[in-house]
Amino acid sequence: MTTVAPHEPPSPPTPNPGLDEPVGVAVHLRPLRRDGVEVRFEATDPHGGWDLARRPRVARLLRSRRLQFFLILPNQLVFWLVIFLGLAGTVVPGLNFGTAITWYVWFCLVFVMMVVVGRAWCAMCPFGGFAEWIQRRSFWQRTQHALGLGRKLPEPIARYGLLASVGTFLLLTWIEEFFNIAGPGNPRDTSFMVLGIVASALTFFLVFERRTFCRYLCPLTALIGTVGAMGSAAGFRTRDREECLTCETKDCMRGGDNGYGCPWYTWPGSADSNLTCGLCSECYKACPSGNVGFFVQPPLTSVISPRRRRGDVAWAVAVLWGLVVFQQINSTNVYASLDSWLNRVTHFPQYPNPIGYVGTIAIIALAFAGIAKVMSLGFGRSDLPRSTPRGTRSFVDATSRFRSFFLPLAYGAIPVVGADYFARQLPKFFKHASRIVPSIGAWFGHGSTHSSLYNLRLLSNPHIVIVQVAVVAAGTLGSLWATWRIARREIIPIATHPAGARLASLAAMLACGATASVLYLIMHAAS
Amino acid sequence: MTETLDSSVAGRPAAATARTAAAHITVLADRCAGCQECVVRCPTGAIDLDPQTWTVVADDSACVGCRQCERTCPFAAIVVDGPVLVEPRASLGVHHPQLLAHDRSETRLGISNWVEALREAARCLDCPDPTCVRGCPAHNDVPGFIRAIRAGDLDEAHRVLRRTSVLPDVCSRVCDQALQCEGACTWSLGNATPVAIGALERFVCDNAPVPPVERTGTAGVGMSVAIVGSGPAGIAAASELASADAAVTVFESGDEPGGLLRWGIPDFTLPEAVTRRPWEALQAAGVDLRCGQEVAAGELEALAGQFDAVVLAAGASTPLRLPIAGGDLDGVWDATRFLTEAHAALAAGTDLPALQPRRPPADGGPGDPAATVLVLGAGNTAMDVARSARRLGARAICVDWMDKKYAPVRPDELDEAAAEGVEVRFSTTVARLEGVDGHVTSAHLALTRQRSAQQRPEVLAGTTTADAVDLVVTAMGYRIAPELAEAAQGTPVAKTTGEIPDRRWQASGILANPSPGFARRQPVGWLALGREHGRAIAGAARRDRMWVAGDALVGPSTVVEAMAQGRHAAQAILRRQPRRPGRTQRPTARVLIAVDTEAGPTGRAVKVLAECLAGDGVEVRTLALHQVTANQLSWADAMVVAVASRSGGRLRQDASPATRSWPAGLPALGAMPVGLLCTYGVSRGRALARLRREIEHHGGQVVTENAIPRRLAPSQRDTALRSVAQAIVSRCVRAPVVSGPRGA
Repeated sequence: MTTVAPHEPPSPPTPNPGLDEPVGVAVHLRPLRRDGVEVRFEATDPHGGWDLARRPRVARLLRSRRLQFFLILPNQLVFWLVIFLGLAGTVVPGLNFGTAITWYVWFCLVFVMMVVVGRAWCAMCPFGGFAEWIQRRSFWQRTQHALGLGRKLPEPIARYGLLASVGTFLLLTWIEEFFNIAGPGNPRDTSFMVLGIVASALTFFLVFERRTFCRYLCPLTALIGTVGAMGSAAGFRTRDREECLTCETKDCMRGGDNGYGCPWYTWPGSADSNLTCGLCSECYKACPSGNVGFFVQPPLTSVISPRRRRGDVAWAVAVLWGLVVFQQINSTNVYASLDSWLNRVTHFPQYPNPIGYVGTIAIIALAFAGIAKVMSLGFGRSDLPRSTPRGTRSFVDATSRFRSFFLPLAYGAIPVVGADYFARQLPKFFKHASRIVPSIGAWFGHGSTHSSLYNLRLLSNPHIVIVQVAVVAAGTLGSLWATWRIARREIIPIATHPAGARLASLAAMLACGATASVLYLIMHAAS
Repeated sequence: MTETLDSSVAGRPAAATARTAAAHITVLADRCAGCQECVVRCPTGAIDLDPQTWTVVADDSACVGCRQCERTCPFAAIVVDGPVLVEPRASLGVHHPQLLAHDRSETRLGISNWVEALREAARCLDCPDPTCVRGCPAHNDVPGFIRAIRAGDLDEAHRVLRRTSVLPDVCSRVCDQALQCEGACTWSLGNATPVAIGALERFVCDNAPVPPVERTGTAGVGMSVAIVGSGPAGIAAASELASADAAVTVFESGDEPGGLLRWGIPDFTLPEAVTRRPWEALQAAGVDLRCGQEVAAGELEALAGQFDAVVLAAGASTPLRLPIAGGDLDGVWDATRFLTEAHAALAAGTDLPALQPRRPPADGGPGDPAATVLVLGAGNTAMDVARSARRLGARAICVDWMDKKYAPVRPDELDEAAAEGVEVRFSTTVARLEGVDGHVTSAHLALTRQRSAQQRPEVLAGTTTADAVDLVVTAMGYRIAPELAEAAQGTPVAKTTGEIPDRRWQASGILANPSPGFARRQPVGWLALGREHGRAIAGAARRDRMWVAGDALVGPSTVVEAMAQGRHAAQAILRRQPRRPGRTQRPTARVLIAVDTEAGPTGRAVKVLAECLAGDGVEVRTLALHQVTANQLSWADAMVVAVASRSGGRLRQDASPATRSWPAGLPALGAMPVGLLCTYGVSRGRALARLRREIEHHGGQVVTENAIPRRLAPSQRDTALRSVAQAIVSRCVRAPVVSGPRGA
């Protein structure tokens, strides 16, 4: 809105152009801290020209309150169909649409979206979306009174950031392995799993405020958040930080007339990566001064550029790396023998033995952290503090000599970890994606396990392995590039032997890539 | 200054000196966005930003545990544990006279010396975003005047108070601070005991000389304003207008000025000397007070013809009727009558004839020497009635059908009444009254049960008992006289807060604690926001050049609210500069353009229209529809509403749903000229007709309507917009004529 007056130049809207506001006289806020703001956000602020919301059509779309509803709706229909068909449809997994769409196509597509865009899936997720409709008591309209208790996530959980999500992801994966849901096993199990996620989401949405579930507890949020850092959607960011800092209302955080406060607890004024931007566009809608833009960025920007390295993200990467490697080695005979032995000793009925599962993942994650430890001992300057004084920094932001190496290394490993997860999903896609067609035909009585599409393989096994190794190689290259850049800014200044430290960092990434590639070859041989 | 300051006790907040155990602040770094909302609002500077992580860090050693950071964080990223570190609040005594009969001395004692005052003032945290200021209906600069007390400057403290309040001496005595400034104090919101703001205010007012009303302003020069009613709203409006050098004439139906202050509040709560002060000052400043002149609703039109503006501040003095058998017997009074007569009797030192016992003694003996007064209700007025009755030698029984837990009674007032021998029975209602020879002699009382605050109490069958009474006084509430309510375009207006609260208020943290213990678990923030809405509404004219303030606007409320509204209405008048027909108009007219979308043809049309108006010398402001509130409307002489007709199918074109629902939230437009503009692609549809209906329903005058198709050539469009501008300009800018005589 503009103000036009004969005696004054056009100016921004006066929020209160009426009578004097006596409250303002008594308000004398302390000064804002601005020192270091340019340096802090210099590398992560996207270029103004990359603001898609400057395009009128995009802006109109983002302003529409119906946008997210229509993104969620198709997925919502598909997943209720999955639940229904899993319970009522054929028990042949390949002919059951619910199983086919979930395990052959959906998981693969989610990874593509993660790598290319970021949290695109979160913007259209039917689980959180469904629960949010109920929490808001509205499909798209802005309402004020939320349904539910509106509690805050307890501090002991919230202080560890993404780690709760890593825990739920490990649990869900273990359940999936135990019941062989993604095998795919009985379609009914897939239904129960999806129903379980919907019920959990709904419960947490009704107990906690905003998207606490999505931010902290969703099994996928740590994976999408970390791997999504490779994506090219920077998310919703400020156009002019000074305006955000001096904004008196913070509608983007508290909610305004046209939009809710950020459901993901992200402030466009200080966002330096796409880690916690759910692309819901609420901040864009809520901002009264049009100071929020929707930015894109070059790939890997959110991996390389953030100055703030978060401890929870680093540990999430390490554990996720442990999980994906576990999923590779669990098909080897060595692991099968180990699992059987553990089951005998612990009287556990079947694969996967929880001790073996957690232990293997922990060993791999700790081995990754061990590389950083060794580097910190070998290359870390002696004047680096061993740890932050107790109570001064939280788990997320604590600093130490070990963390000075571990955090940059973990961020650098994101591309190879993401690539490994993606490669892991490829066999099902290449072998069975075509079964979607007969599974749809099965609704009308035309689906058959003898149909050519049912048995069509897009690639043969050897070719699949080649593609898997190629994907991992691409991820490794991404990690090498990211680590090279990160090391220059964050490792070299603290290393006694800068070149050695940089090379060691790159070697660590190469080792990760090589491990993943070799394991795919072993998996292929084992199968 | 009338007292000397002992420098040994002057100083900064004492909170830090009371440190026995530490509070601990936990920042959830994962969720902290570094927005610094807590940094700028922390009263002690215990929170700072870490530029490296761009999250906040806390210094526990500086924290006093007030939890302001917790309340202001938009993402709930801060948790404070540990005790609240603040010195105990000053205990204010209550004066219980040895002989209650005819005693008029003040019951509640204030702070009596500098040592106490400074000790209490030192408890104030001097918050950067003081929630107490928002909690005060008048928005007194509480930290400002307490700061002045700490500096030992009573005159400055008084000056700070007088900046926003005309009646600080009155408000400090009669306000229920627990639901206002003190309830909203940072300590109170942190569930600790707040600063005794009311007592400090009273200390200032009792010890600093009352400044005269000085005609130092110029905004009211040449303007004549009539004020109907001389209560708090009238006093505030008169003071504000007189300060701006306007000619003010006040019409008071009673024999003496003061309205509710005069007859509604007994001397033991508000001494007569304090009640008289404002009017003495106003009359000294040249305000023309005409007592004994009642202005009927039908005469308001004529009054508006004689004055440039009228402020209706006649209060809400029609008592609610007693809807039971026997309600029309002799000896059934309303509280107004009783308090007026009791006031006169107490002032004269005589008895009240109505309080002579009439009941025949049961045994034929000499009978009970004390009459029994049954007071229906247990609110402020009921307590005043009962305590006045006690001072006139009667027994007093108050009955309230609400449960004590839910009754809106002040605990301190209840204690004072009990100490004076008033019997208060909650969960009791009167079923019927019986009398002898047409005079009430007994009341049949029944017990009630109330399960929750929201539930209406239910009468329990078979619990009725009869009590002998000599006088029944109804103190169940008041309402605005129906004819005045109609003349004021449908008052009372609801003090609604809207769906989404003002984010500045949210940011201050006042809404974050919905039920502070000191505020009797009442939602102080939301109550304050509702009062703020009432104050804003007072700034908008209800009819052509007629503003309404105080109880006449929002129904029975409080002295301070009425005062704040009266002041606000006066400020709106000074800003608007209304003139009765034939008098000089303010040279620059102001037009508000309310637009539903700044994009597309509507946005372009509005830009052209604004330029046309500006070219005619009009001051123009363009706002989105949702930004148009009573406060903004009080600025404008006319309004243009520009909408796009686009929603619905080809045959059902209309404005968007948000635009269609917008007029429902509008205040009364007070005959404001309104232009309607609609752009459309397919058809104008029903948008204009619907808007016209709504605008007229809210008292606006639609002076022009224009629908502009999107495909219209720019030159044709500009011509159409010029005609809109001309229609508006012709209604709000008149050719200057010779200024009329000052006053009526």
